[in-house]
Amino acid sequence: MSRSQQQVIRMLALVPYLQGNDGVPVNDVAAEFGVKPKVIRDDLRLLMYTGTGEYAGELIDFDLTALERDGIVHIRDAEFMTRPLRINAREGVALIVALRTLRASASGSQLTVIDSALAKVESAVGDSVSTPVDVVVDDVDRAIHGTIVHALTTGKRVAMSYATATRDVRTDRFVDPRRLFTEQGKLYLEAWCLKAEDLRFFRLDRILAAEVTTTDIEDHDASPRDLSDGFFTVGAETPYVLVDLHPRAHWLTEYYQVDLLDRNDDGVWRAKIYGADLEWLRRLVLRNAGSVTVIAPETVRSQVIDDARVALQAYDEDVVPTKE
Amino acid sequence: MNLIFALLVSRQYLTKEQIRESIADYRESTPAAFDRKFERDKEELRELGINVETGSIDKYFNDEPGYRIRRDEAELPDLELTREEAAVIGLATQVWEHAGLASQSTTALVKLKAIGVDVDTTVLRMAEPKLSTDEPSFDAMWEAATRRIPVTFAYARPNAEPMVRHLQPWGIVSWRDRWYVGGFDLDRQERRVFRLSRVIGDVEMTGEPGSYVIPEGVDMKEFARPLFPPAPEEAAVLHIHSGRGQSLRRLAESVTPLGNGLDEVAVRYSSPWELASEVASYGPDVVVISPPDVRSAVITRLRAAVSGSLEANA
Repeated sequence: MSRSQQQVIRMLALVPYLQGNDGVPVNDVAAEFGVKPKVIRDDLRLLMYTGTGEYAGELIDFDLTALERDGIVHIRDAEFMTRPLRINAREGVALIVALRTLRASASGSQLTVIDSALAKVESAVGDSVSTPVDVVVDDVDRAIHGTIVHALTTGKRVAMSYATATRDVRTDRFVDPRRLFTEQGKLYLEAWCLKAEDLRFFRLDRILAAEVTTTDIEDHDASPRDLSDGFFTVGAETPYVLVDLHPRAHWLTEYYQVDLLDRNDDGVWRAKIYGADLEWLRRLVLRNAGSVTVIAPETVRSQVIDDARVALQAYDEDVVPTKE
Repeated sequence: MNLIFALLVSRQYLTKEQIRESIADYRESTPAAFDRKFERDKEELRELGINVETGSIDKYFNDEPGYRIRRDEAELPDLELTREEAAVIGLATQVWEHAGLASQSTTALVKLKAIGVDVDTTVLRMAEPKLSTDEPSFDAMWEAATRRIPVTFAYARPNAEPMVRHLQPWGIVSWRDRWYVGGFDLDRQERRVFRLSRVIGDVEMTGEPGSYVIPEGVDMKEFARPLFPPAPEEAAVLHIHSGRGQSLRRLAESVTPLGNGLDEVAVRYSSPWELASEVASYGPDVVVISPPDVRSAVITRLRAAVSGSLEANA
């Protein structure tokens, strides 16, 4: 939709809104409409040239003294439009898809509320609109999801057991939950971790057990991390491995942070793969052994070989396949 | 704007001449320019979702068409939202990380606020999902899928030359922050799913809106099922060192301590390839006892890791 169309839609919504909220400050209007105050002031100026006719009383008017001096809006002579226009097809589709997204990551009684809100929005938009858009979020344990939502709602501390992603360990800790959100289609909890004494992100499917305690959560002075560039951003210090990728492993370049350096004639690609730490990168190489081979750094290369050698001994010696 | 107001206020149909008289910009135009502007403005209103109705002014002498906007059709009815439902809609407007769609859902919310819906998002604590759209082809596919417009585009799988594809989009679906479009593939004459990030260059719309019918009961989630991992049904037995192999322990059906710092862990899996990869990634910490095909797949990976060679491991 073009800028001017968006402006027309906004101005048409402003007319009934301002009548229902007489004396509202311009700054509040701007916040409600999600634009800058200057945008609203421009809209108001234009609205004064509109109306049902061209004579005084037929044109929309504002109390200019209140507007200029106090930044407060009193609208006049707009009684011909006291209700907003219907939610149109485009707005409806955007809102319905957003509601479906909320639904995909909601739990328990929240689903009922979202479903009834969806039904009402769909009926308001009308039958002419189909919304062939859906959002899939990976399943998580319902009990754990419910526990976290309950703790957020009641403002209580959570005792939980968590499997750390990069280091392969299980840890028990107390956290004060702040919010639940999704990243790459997975649910995360942002919480103050009493063990780390800092804000941490926890992937819900890595929470092994969780229980709401009777302790109220405390206020911790910490600003949330800016996630606008995603969780993982590559910097000068970011660990990486230099690898060769067999065609079978080319898909890795679509899923991870990768610098593609060279494409050989035989289909082997040379690339740098970045990761949060070297242990995670070593596991990535082992996981894809045969399709990925590590060139550098030497520490990772030799550790991969050592790990695999020790692992193979287990298959040679003390383990005999059992009959099923 | 004035055209909307004039048509909205009028109880009866207005003739073109009446409309011209009441709006300065029209009045000051030449007849030809007025015709052009009037058509353009009507079309713009249609784009905004406002339907200008045409009818006859006089039941007996219906020689001149008239225009109006029906108030009952154009105005937003009361939705009778509860506090929680209003809060949910408020939260929904924070989902889109796409400027256009974010502003469209915000406008919908503003309209609700204009009829007095009180939106207080703090009455609910729930997950705050985000929908981002990095794919350059997203806007065009969104438009095509929601308005049923056939499209032509170049599509490249990794390692393959781009191919021109012809599709009737039925719908789009987001999974793990990636968008997919599903529909009827006119080249293959069957249902297909395409990943938007693999669409190269512009998406060309090759037809009018509504130029095909989406079969009854098409569910995008069902449609995209082949993309998602199947349910884990096969059984495997693993030996895992105490406190290690956390991702596999999460799936455990049972854990039996064997002594000597070793646990026997029973898991369910769907893909032998995936399970073998996960086990291999833990090196000496996890050993596959059964089934034999996963066991030998792990051994193949580990041998390749020792030799550092790129070889077949299917």
